[in-house]
Amino acid sequence: MSQEPFFLVATLLFSIGLIGVMSRRNLFAVYISIELMLSAINLILVTFSRLLGDMGGSVIVLLLLAVIAAEAAVFLAMIIQLARAKKTIDSDYFSHLRQPKESL
Amino acid sequence: MLENSIFAILSLFLIGGALMVLLSREIVLNAFGFLIAMLAMAGLFALLENSFLFLAQIMISAGAVVVLSLIAVTTINLKRDNLPEEPNKIRWIVISALIVSPISLLIYKTLTMVNRKFQETVDGYGTLKVIGGELFSSWVLPFEILSVLLLAAMLAAIVIARKESEI
Repeated sequence: MSQEPFFLVATLLFSIGLIGVMSRRNLFAVYISIELMLSAINLILVTFSRLLGDMGGSVIVLLLLAVIAAEAAVFLAMIIQLARAKKTIDSDYFSHLRQPKESL
Repeated sequence: MLENSIFAILSLFLIGGALMVLLSREIVLNAFGFLIAMLAMAGLFALLENSFLFLAQIMISAGAVVVLSLIAVTTINLKRDNLPEEPNKIRWIVISALIVSPISLLIYKTLTMVNRKFQETVDGYGTLKVIGGELFSSWVLPFEILSVLLLAAMLAAIVIARKESEI
C-alpha cells in the first residue's frame, strides 16, 4: 500500500487537534487536543522512517513519547490545581495574569 | 488487501476517537476517546512494521498518560453543572475548521510531494535491538537532555500540585 493514506490520516488528526485547541473552553479537552497534535507528528515521523528505511525517525518518536509523558504530568498538575482553586475548568475563569484595567 | 482493510478500520477508530474528544461535553468521554485514538495509533505503528514503537506507544500513551488523565478526572470530580457551558460550541468549531482547512491542505500537499514508495524492509527494521543501537550511538545527546527535561517536569508537577501553594 502507498504512503498517502497515512499522511491523510495524520493531517486530519492534526487538524482536529488544532480545531479543538481553538474552539473548546474545557481545559481538559484542550489538553487532549494538544496530545492529539503531538501524536499526529509521531505518525508522520514513523511513516517517513518506514519510507526512507532509516531508523532515525523511529528514535525521534521514542524521544517524543517521553516529552508527551512529561507534558502530561505538568499539564494534569496544573488542571488539578486550577480546579481546586476555582471549582471549574472553564478557561474563561482563569484571568489572573490579565493586566488590571486601572493600570492601563 | 488485508493490509488496506486493517488500515481502514484503524483510521476509522483514530478519527472517531479524535472527534469524540472534540465534540463530547463529558470529560470522561473525552478521556475514553483519547484512549481509543492512542490504541488505534499503536495499531498504525504496527502496520508500519515498527514493533518496538507499537509496544512503547501502548505502554506510555495508552497505559501511562491515559490512566493518569483518568485519575485526574476522578480526582477533580466535577459535577455536570460545573462543566463549561459552551453554548456556541458547534459554531466555534465550524469557524475554526474554516480557518484551519487551508493550513491542513498545505500540510497534506507538502507531505505527499515526497516521491518514494514503501520498499521491502531490511532485516531487523523496527526491533528493539536496532532502535537501541541507534539511540546510544548517534542520539546520545538528545537522550541526556531528555533526562534533564523529565527531572524538571517531575519537580514542576510536584511544586504546582502542592496543597498550600496559591495561584
